[in-house]
Formats: sequence, structure tokens, C-alpha cells
Amino acid sequence: MEVSFIMKEILRLCFVMTVIAAISAGVLAFVDQQTEEPIKNAMKDEEMSAVESVLPPFDNEADKDTLTLKDEADEYKFYRGRKEGGIVGVAFTVIAPNGYSGEIKVMVGVDTQGVVQGVQILDHRETPGLGAKIETADFRDQYKGKSLADPEAWDVIKDGGTFKHITGATISSRAVTHSIARALEFFAANREMILGSEEEKSSESAGSEENLR
Amino acid sequence: MSVWKEFNKGFWSENPIFRLVLGLCPTLAVTTTAENGIGMGLASTFVLVCSNTVIASIRKFIPKKIRIPAFIVTIATFVTIVDLVMNGYFHALHKSLGLFIPLIVVNCIILGRAEAFASKNPVAISIVDGLGMGIGFTLSLVLLGAIRELLGNGTIFGAVLFGDSYLPLLLMILPPGAFIVLGMILGLMNQAEIKLAERTGRTPLIRKEHDCASCAIHRSWWGLGKGQETAEQ
Amino acid sequence: MADTSEGKKPKQEAAPRFLVSSSPHLHDGQSVGGIMRLVIYALLPAALFSIYVFGLSAVRVIVLSVASSVVFEMLSQRVMKRTVRIGDWSAVLTGLLLALNLPSTSPWWLVVVGSFFAIVIAKQIYGGLGYNPFNPALVGRVVLLISFPVQMTARWIAPSKWGMEAVTTATPLGRIRESLMSQGSVDLHLTQQEWIDLLIGNRAGCLGEVSIVLLLAGGIFLIAKRVISWHTPVAFIGAVWIFTGIFHLIDPMKYADPSFHVITGGLFIGAFYMATDYVTSPITGRGMLIFGVGCGLITVVIRLFGAYPEGVSFAILLMNAATPLIDRFSRPAVFGARKRKAAAGG
Repeated sequence: MEVSFIMKEILRLCFVMTVIAAISAGVLAFVDQQTEEPIKNAMKDEEMSAVESVLPPFDNEADKDTLTLKDEADEYKFYRGRKEGGIVGVAFTVIAPNGYSGEIKVMVGVDTQGVVQGVQILDHRETPGLGAKIETADFRDQYKGKSLADPEAWDVIKDGGTFKHITGATISSRAVTHSIARALEFFAANREMILGSEEEKSSESAGSEENLR
Repeated sequence: MSVWKEFNKGFWSENPIFRLVLGLCPTLAVTTTAENGIGMGLASTFVLVCSNTVIASIRKFIPKKIRIPAFIVTIATFVTIVDLVMNGYFHALHKSLGLFIPLIVVNCIILGRAEAFASKNPVAISIVDGLGMGIGFTLSLVLLGAIRELLGNGTIFGAVLFGDSYLPLLLMILPPGAFIVLGMILGLMNQAEIKLAERTGRTPLIRKEHDCASCAIHRSWWGLGKGQETAEQ
Repeated sequence: MADTSEGKKPKQEAAPRFLVSSSPHLHDGQSVGGIMRLVIYALLPAALFSIYVFGLSAVRVIVLSVASSVVFEMLSQRVMKRTVRIGDWSAVLTGLLLALNLPSTSPWWLVVVGSFFAIVIAKQIYGGLGYNPFNPALVGRVVLLISFPVQMTARWIAPSKWGMEAVTTATPLGRIRESLMSQGSVDLHLTQQEWIDLLIGNRAGCLGEVSIVLLLAGGIFLIAKRVISWHTPVAFIGAVWIFTGIFHLIDPMKYADPSFHVITGGLFIGAFYMATDYVTSPITGRGMLIFGVGCGLITVVIRLFGAYPEGVSFAILLMNAATPLIDRFSRPAVFGARKRKAAAGG
């Protein structure tokens, strides 16, 4: 008698909870389905706006025209911007490991000759008001139009280079400068492969969609 | 119980942040700008109104023993909806609020209103309660965010107010600034409440001699009063 | 109020009664103002030396800081309807300590904002002298350090006679951090002359942290006068020496000499003048030792692994927060009472 009463009570609680959870799951499944497309688009827009900010105007879908290469330490994903079929620029991210407080993620855009078209700071944890000023256009724009050959010394002025550094944040500035130099070197070393042929483009487009998710 | 009274209690007499001091995690973490304050406040208001509605309408079917898990599942459902919709349609805001959107699930205000109000009252008045509390929460977040953004960045809602020559007081948009501004507003509101109550002749919501020594935590910490006797035995 | 007291007065005067007052019943003539003045006297040599090496800009910072602190103290006591107690010299001392914690290049508004936070936010809002949980001058400094890192950490002037040659340079701690970041080692080969320069204050830094010798002399004066006890400074400086020493032994390339760590930065002014603040530090000797070691440990952790090259002010503020805890656990046993195992547990 007693036992069966308890069993009944437990079953009742389970039943109510199950119903609530089932309704909730159903509602969420519906909302998830409805928002899947907008979220995908928003993520794509975010990725694209970063690419656009470092490249000259292009008219292809650069997020689908990618190539991923590896060196000993890192993996680089190259976004190729084309105008009327011809490559006008390539954007890719490098990670500066030696920021003042951790890694700095830098996106660099170069033209086919390896001349910097734009620099964007994607992610960092530098000190607000100090190292965080690497985000400012004033600092980023000084790399525009520079390449490995010009200037020869990729360093901040304090170390005998040509790039000005942010007051009080030499370390952050140095880290960004060196990471861009490394990016340019990597680009120069793999230029042929990155600018590559049309066949590669189609095989890579499938891979890029994988990455999107 | 007047509808108006249930609605406006969230603004002053039972303001979630400045009077009940609930939901401090989002309050302190996301109010670096007024815009973040609005985003967080509206997201919480939406969850609050929806969860109050649902909980009030199914309150008679939920057995008392499983009411907390039932409430949490309901709240979590709405939070996930907000998370997904915001990610899709307000991507930049979603990115700046980040982790704190899913954390609305554990916001005390929402479970508190479900437990204290919606589970005991009809649907219509529960909606009014959720709306009032939510708007009170939103206004508080916007106030905090606006003060911090103005002092810490020289802008309000992204509009430059102080010009280029203003060197922002960075402290204000960093975590300690949240505590300092919150404490200031709490103190000023208590002061205003005492003045207001004196003028209208009602009993103030807080004690006038409210100091550290009269705080329960302080008393038990120093073993004063009741705590002392039990410790000595 | 006036009516009732007039009515009762004749009765009270007629009846003889016991006067009951709480201890202490003996008074040696010391007053708050007197103690504050002694600390100020102890700091004066270091302050004068800073004027000698940084020139007029140091005078400007000191005068501005002291004056604005006193004005803020007076204004806030007026607004909060408290008795105005600027005569107790505590605002002057706070202003002086804040000035000694700022670089000589500080613009005027930096000093004023700092003293506003020190006096109004850190002290008067909590209830005034005696109620503030954190050292006011340090709160002022840390607020500025966090808010205006460029003005606070990037414009150091190398010392020269009367500040005649304004040459920018880096602080010694900033320099080793810099070389550690760029070359992977601290690169510290000091000649005897450089060690002496560090000791007498021929180096860049905040006004009051440069002359170790004069700060030490002032500190010994205060200990001799029984204004402060030896526990905190000895524990603090000792802890910094020992902890940095351990790391130096592990890897001398990455971690600088412990003696270098002891005589650079704000350690001496912090240990003798700010970690010993009556209001914000423990009251028993044992408590002071715990406090000092804690300060030292946190300083070392920040200097070696933190985001800032110097950590003394953060360390003292963090230990200020722990002071009620330390006081509670270092409470001396009541005279004559037997020791109980659970005494501290409560």
C-alpha cells in the first residue's frame, strides 16, 4: 500500500517533468531551426567584414575562396579576394604570441606582391588604455603600403626600425610589428601556392564550408 | 492589490538591483556601456515576462516537489530562445554580451519572481509584475552603464559627449568601476529614500541608522550578540 | 532637546554620581595630529630629496596634492555635515603620500583626480579617518595607475641636479621587465656605482620611491619614536628578499637579484609608511608579521608574473582587505585565560 503510493507519486512527478521538458525541447527545436540561417549569415558577415577591412574592393565570395596552409607552429587560413576573376588581395590571420598579456590575433591583408593593404586586430587581452590602443586606426594604418623590402627593418623605432610604437606600450607594438613581418615572410615563401590555380579553388570551397560550422 | 502598484514596485520600492541587490553578475559585468545595459535589460525582461506568464498559467499543475526544476527548465527555454534570436539578428550585441546571455538562467531575479510571485498569482498580474520588474532592472542597468560609459569612455550610447580632449577615467569601465558606481547609487538612493519618507510621513524602507555595525554579517563575524553566546558554551 | 535637558539639569547636579568612562585611562599626550606630524617629519627628507633631483615639477606635485587633499577633506566634511577635522593633519599626510607615489611629470588634473579618490571615495565616504578599510593614498594611486597608465608609467624623468636636465628614461623595474620581454633575460650587470645610485636615489621613479637611504632613515626614526613597530616593514621587505631570492636561485637569467628587487620600486615607502597605517593594518605584532609577509608575497608575484612591473601598492591594498581577518585570527588571549584550541574558530 505504502510502497505503491510512493511509486505512484514518483511516477506522477516524472510524468509532469517529462511533459515540461518535452514541450521545452520541441519549442527549442523549432526556434533553432528558424534561426539557423540568420546565425549562419551573421557569422559569415562578421568574418567577411574583417576580410573586407584589410583588402581592396573585391567582388567574389572570399569566405568560400580559401586555402589553409601549415607551418611548424601555426595554421594559416588564406581568404582570396578577386575582382573579375583575378586575385586582388589575400587576407589571413597571424597570432603574435608575445603580447604584454597573451596572444594577439592579427588579420593582415596583402596584395599579390606582398604589399600590406590593411591590418586588423581581431582579438587581444592587452591593457586597456595602453596596449589596447593597437586597435586604433592610427596605429594600424602605418603598416599600409609596406612590404618585406620596404622598410628593411621590421621593428619599432625604439629598436632601430621605422614603425612608431604606442606610448607606454612598446611590447604590444613590437609584438604586432613582428607578427606582421612573420606573416609577410610566410606569404612570400608560399606565394605560388596561395595565389594558386583555379582547380585548387573548387576543392577548397568544400573545406571552407566545413570550417564555417 | 492594484495593478499600478505591482507594476511600479520594480522602479523604486523593490528595484531588483538597487533595493533587492539581486542579479549582480550581469549588473557588474555587462554595464560597461549604456547600450549593453539596454540589451541585457531587455533580454532579461523578455525572459522574465515569458517565464512569469508560463509559470503563472501552469502553476496549478506543477507539483510542489518539482517546482524549482520545472521553473528552471521554463526559464532556460526562454533564455535559449533569446540567445539564438539575438545571435541571428543582433549579432554585434550578442558578441559583446557573450557569456552573460546564457547566464540569465541563473539570474536570481527571474527565479525569484517565479517562486515569489508567478507561482502564487494569476497570469495577468504576473505579467504586470514581470514587466515592472524587468523595466526596473533595465532602467537600473542603463543608468549604471551610462554613468560608466560617460566617465570611462566620454560617450553615451556611443555618442561622443566629452570630446577628444577628455582623457577617459578607464577605471570606470573596468570591473572596480562597476562596484564603485553601484555603491554610490545605492548610497544616494538610500539617502533619497529617507528624505522622501520624511517628507511624506511614511516609514522609510531602510533604517536610518543603517551602518556596518547593525549588519547581520558583521555581528555574526565578530561573534557579537547571539553568536557569542553559542560560541562560549 | 533643549527643553528636556534644562528641566533635568538641577536634579543631576544635586546628586553626586560615579563617572564611568571606557579605557584607556592613561594618556601620554600623543594625539592623532601629533602622530601624523611625526610621520610627515619622517617623510620630509625624502620629499626634499625628490625636489633636489626632479626640481620644480616635484614641488608642484607635492604642493598641489597636499592642498587639494586638504580642500577635498574640508569640502566633503562640510557636505556630509561632519565636524571639519583638517587640523588633525591626516589629509596633509595623505596628500604628501599620494604626491610621493606619483611621477614628477604628473599633469595637474592627475594629481587632483588622485586626491579626490583618496580623500572623498576612499576615506570620507566610508565615514572618515578610522573607518576607511583601504589606505587612501594608495587607492588614489591605484585609481590613477589603472585609469591613466600612460601618464603614470610611461613618462619617467632621469634625476639631475634640481631637475635641470629633463631626460626621459625607464624605471629600474620597468627596464628589467622590458629586457625580459624582448631578450628573454633580465640582463642585470650592475656596477658598484650603479648599486650606490639605486640606494641614494639617483634613478627614475615616483617622487618618494627614489631615495632608499632617506626613507630608511625616516622609518628608523618612526620606529624609535614608537610611532610604528618594526614588524610590518621587516616582514614585508624580508619576504620580498626571500621570495625573489628563491626565484633568482632557480633561474638567475629570468629573475633579478633579490637585493635589486628590495631597493627598487616603491617597496621602502610602502613598507615603512603605508603598510603601517594604523587604520588599515593589523593591530597585533603577530598580525603585522602575517600582513607584511602577505604584502611581500603578493608584491613578488605581481612583479615577476603580473601585468605591471611594480606591485607594492596592489599588494598593500589587497592585504588591507584581509586585515579584519588577520586581526580576528591573531587576537591575543585574554589575560589569565587558558588557551583554547578553538579560540580562533568561533
